[in-house]
Amino acid sequence: MAKEKGHTKLNLLKGIVIENPLFVSILGTCPALATTKSIEAAIGMGILFSIVLICSNVLISLLRKLIPEEIRTPSYIVVIATFVTMVKMLANAFLPELYSTLGVFISLIVVNCIVLGRAEAYASKNNVFDSFIDALGMGVGYTLALILMAFFREFLGTGGFTIGKVLPIVPQAMTLQIIPKGYEISLFQTPAGAFIVFGCILAVIAFINNRKNELKTNLERKEKIRKLNEAKAAAAKANNGGKK
Amino acid sequence: MSQTGYLILAISILVILLAVFIVSFVLYKRTPAPKGCENIIISEENCSSCSKHKECSFYHSEGE
Amino acid sequence: MNNIIAFLLAILSSMLIDNVVLSRFYGICPFLGVSKKVKSSLGMGVAVVFVIVLATLICWPLYNYVLVPAGIPYLDTVAYILVIASLVQLVGLFIKKYSPSLYKSLGIYLPLITTNCAVLGVAQSNTDQGLTFVASLANALGTSLGFLMIIVVFSCIRVRLESANVPKAFKGLPIALITAALMAIAFMGLQGLFSGVNL
Repeated sequence: MAKEKGHTKLNLLKGIVIENPLFVSILGTCPALATTKSIEAAIGMGILFSIVLICSNVLISLLRKLIPEEIRTPSYIVVIATFVTMVKMLANAFLPELYSTLGVFISLIVVNCIVLGRAEAYASKNNVFDSFIDALGMGVGYTLALILMAFFREFLGTGGFTIGKVLPIVPQAMTLQIIPKGYEISLFQTPAGAFIVFGCILAVIAFINNRKNELKTNLERKEKIRKLNEAKAAAAKANNGGKK
Repeated sequence: MSQTGYLILAISILVILLAVFIVSFVLYKRTPAPKGCENIIISEENCSSCSKHKECSFYHSEGE
Repeated sequence: MNNIIAFLLAILSSMLIDNVVLSRFYGICPFLGVSKKVKSSLGMGVAVVFVIVLATLICWPLYNYVLVPAGIPYLDTVAYILVIASLVQLVGLFIKKYSPSLYKSLGIYLPLITTNCAVLGVAQSNTDQGLTFVASLANALGTSLGFLMIIVVFSCIRVRLESANVPKAFKGLPIALITAALMAIAFMGLQGLFSGVNL
């Protein structure tokens, strides 16, 4: 049972850190660049995306023994498109601000490689609970990645954070201005800023990975040298012993 | 034509589309690649980010 | 005559000012993924032009003459993805059977196009904005030609970047993204290109 617990936790964390869909697998880049002008829009996009991912993963996992091998991809596309349509209509009814902010990108969840990729790679082979946890991890990982990008873009581009404009969390829109007006870099609100932020985040991740690998190889080299020295010493000792 | 007529027409068109998709998908997979193209795959060199996902049939349907 | 000029201007403006990749963010995946070599980017670009134009030719009438009269316009996304996916498969089937030479150059890119946001994005935004058929066609042509242009230009830059001395952490995708950002800034300069033209 303990093992099972650890497995679930690992499964959940996998999508958030080790296999983060946006920063490690570089999937789903279109909405990541287009909907990260503000943190609120990013949260909204992440939530809608997660709902579609979780629902389609669970349904596909339930149907995995019914769908013939040969027509798997077409049936997955139909399932995903259905859930996207449902989410789109719900967003239009209950979150009209979010719906108009995200625009066509809600429909584009259909062609998001993450959803189809998880369906093919995971949900078609694993049981319902595991698929649910996998989808939850991936959804949360993607949402966090979107929020990170939106954080830099909104902070640098507008000089502060606004809440209540897109998502109805607070009754009246509030703005927290940190950098005084006139000193913000509005480039970060334009498409070019999205590319810069994404590129820099990927570079930081590559830097950390490089650093880790370097440390690892250094440690390995040191270990090797130490072992060699030990072997040499042992050999010398043995030689000496033999002479005596 | 009445609303119901249109509705039936629209639904039948959607069903036909789905049928066309499934049939063409299966046929495409079953058709052997022409001579000289059997071993075309999306290599790491040509395509950097998508070849990480070997499970996804869209990305590697040609390599099989 | 005026109509033809308007049509061409609409194509040019959605190609240059409102470029798919750099300002509308459609099709970033193939833009980053299939742009390491000029030849492969050209193949991908041509295949995308073909599919986008064909998909628009089918999706617009489907929406306006079938889904709207039937009272189910909300099924547009499902209908479009079915049209695009079967179109891609049919074209692929045809090429695979009858034209080995075309298959050799375009074959591997066709399956990738179903999941290219540009195709669904154009079809969806055409009907979302309520464009006329001609305007939709202009939008489709401009968008897809813009995609072809930008992916070829980008791959030319990336070929040069391979031999450039960039910091180790920026090697590969990060520097490609920064390049894309610089291209986006350059394209921002084209805004207002046709503002003086009276239509």
